Amino acid sequence: MKLGIGARITAVFGLGALVLSVLLGGIAYFTVRHFLLAGRESAAQTQAFSNASLVRTSLEGGDTNYLGLLGQIDAGTGAHSVLYHRSKAYGSSLSVNASSIPPQLRKEVLGGTPATQTYRTAAGTAEIAVGLPVPAVHAAYFEVFDLSDLDHTMNVLGLTLFVAGAVTTLLGVALGRFASRRLLRPLSDVTSAAGAIAGGELDTRLDIEAADPDLVGLTASFNAMVDQLQVRIEREARFNSDVSHELRSPLTTLSAAVGVLETDRDRLPARSQRALQLLSDDLRRFQRMVSDLLEMSRADAGSVDVFLEEVNVSELVQRSVETGIGHMDSRQHAAPDVVVDPEVEQWRVGVDKRRFERVLVNLMENADHYGGGVTTIAVGPGPDPGAASGFAGRLVEVTVDDAGPGIDPAERTKVFERFYRGSASGRRGTGTGTGLGLALVAEHMHVMHGDVRVESSPDGGARFVLSLPVLSNDDKDGVDDTSEQLVAETGVDA
Amino acid sequence: MSGRILVVEDDERIRSSMRLALEGEGYEVRDAASGEEGLDLFAEAPTDVALIDLMLPGMDGFECCRALRRSSAVPIIIVTARSDTHDVVAGLEAGADDYVTKPFVAKELAARIRALLRRARPAEEEPGALTFGDLQLLPEQGVLRRLNGEEVHCTRTEFRLLCELAASPNKVLSREQLLDRVWGYDYFGDGRLVDVHIRRLRTKVEADPAVPQHILTVRGMGYKLVP
Repeated sequence: MKLGIGARITAVFGLGALVLSVLLGGIAYFTVRHFLLAGRESAAQTQAFSNASLVRTSLEGGDTNYLGLLGQIDAGTGAHSVLYHRSKAYGSSLSVNASSIPPQLRKEVLGGTPATQTYRTAAGTAEIAVGLPVPAVHAAYFEVFDLSDLDHTMNVLGLTLFVAGAVTTLLGVALGRFASRRLLRPLSDVTSAAGAIAGGELDTRLDIEAADPDLVGLTASFNAMVDQLQVRIEREARFNSDVSHELRSPLTTLSAAVGVLETDRDRLPARSQRALQLLSDDLRRFQRMVSDLLEMSRADAGSVDVFLEEVNVSELVQRSVETGIGHMDSRQHAAPDVVVDPEVEQWRVGVDKRRFERVLVNLMENADHYGGGVTTIAVGPGPDPGAASGFAGRLVEVTVDDAGPGIDPAERTKVFERFYRGSASGRRGTGTGTGLGLALVAEHMHVMHGDVRVESSPDGGARFVLSLPVLSNDDKDGVDDTSEQLVAETGVDA
Repeated sequence: MSGRILVVEDDERIRSSMRLALEGEGYEVRDAASGEEGLDLFAEAPTDVALIDLMLPGMDGFECCRALRRSSAVPIIIVTARSDTHDVVAGLEAGADDYVTKPFVAKELAARIRALLRRARPAEEEPGALTFGDLQLLPEQGVLRRLNGEEVHCTRTEFRLLCELAASPNKVLSREQLLDRVWGYDYFGDGRLVDVHIRRLRTKVEADPAVPQHILTVRGMGYKLVP
């Protein structure tokens, strides 16, 4: 998994704080421990030394009441003493005897060397033992001091340092998050600006005045890039509009002039009548090619304004088929039957009626060219998402089946690409002759918030499925005074 | 059917071919190469229908429409290069009655003109006089006036639209029905014609066009007139 820059900055800050607090805490802990222990050790040695001289004085005086002596020494110090005299050991209390002295220490002291040892007993208590040989009276004196108070102090200190370290680490993480947010904020401005530009708001720019001094370069070059982009898009849009105008003018003249000739058709000789027929047929084709190409270039420029009207879907399909059959290039057959599922009879959809008619014309022409003609056109409900109430999420599907060999699953998305001729290459393109027929179907459907796909019909032919979101059904009658709703929604509210 | 047509179009070839086509349909045609010239010709002699291209040098088609509308209720058809732009709505807002898209088929243009000329004449089935709000609609006399006698000026298309709504008060008429009855369009007529004309009408008959009391929108269905 790849960590984002924000997470990485946060992690580095957290890790830094952790290392730093472990280091400082460790140094503090061991220094304090060392000094406290050294202090206790020297105090213990001093006390043991003075007690040892007391013992020597007593023993020199011939006193052999060891327990009395040791009890006297121990009184009020919290320490315990062990005395070796003439190879016998005497402890100051029942709990302290020869075995309380660590063997190594005992061996060393009985050998004649004074020694000190810090250790932990089997019960876990920290103790310090000081052993002093008293050669003058053939004795050795040991004193054992309890270090559990020091132990406790060190535990509290350790806990405190641990908590401080944890808090420091958390603060480091928080600081890291804060810093990464601060650092990334200019980038999120850039992101939202880029998003707005991608969404068509070409006037969006970053505020160079408000930019971080370190990022002025980025801001300036970003703005320069958008300027360039805007200039190019506008130039392209102007070019399209110019081409559109330039092509339409001669087509208008041609169309009007051919119209005049057609009015006088009966007075023309037969040869001229045939020539006129060719002229007017190809003029019609030419007009459609031009308008298809312009439609595509407009879609590319993102300058399609669409006016969606809420209409009954079954009426829409029936009317589109009836009218569309007359707009087809090949007029060899009657309009195919439209089968309407009773469930969807009253359903309403939002469409541009003329675009929808062109969609059906293109599909019917495609079926004529590649699929042996249309067999059935049907209107039915799309899959029911179930969850939502009313018509939210519901789709209505219009299927156009043909009698051809069907379309290979591998080609089913490609057929909607521009100029795609498929495995049937060599044959003429779709009815428009531009290879744009199905690409325009997809384009029109998307503009109307719908979609198109192709699958197999039950007879093995191709089945084109148009789907549109359902808005409502007919059995309602509410007065709605947000009156310009339809116009406003489509942005033609001038 | 005869009628006097004024064509305002800057492209000389289109102008000539339109003249040929329209004269072939039996109309009397005068043409102008600019908006200014068009307004002069309009002032000189009576005109039944004006055809105005939106892209004109100098005074553009929108301005030309507005100038004509200030002095006249003559039916206006705008000629536009594209149907899916704001141009159509802007042209209709400027006072046009209908539009055609270049390149148009001569027959289609002739059909549009016929529909407008038909409307310019008294219709056969007119509703009786209807009073709503402080307005009185007298279809037979072609008059809409306030109860204080002041006449409300509207174009013939607006008047026809109001009469169609008034012929069946409180009943919803769909866009398709209105397009058919007022403009003579089939199912594929442009609903924006109805929407913009309704909007124009509201500015004339409603006290507050933003909160209409008489010409109501029934969402997704159409419009109805409530007296």
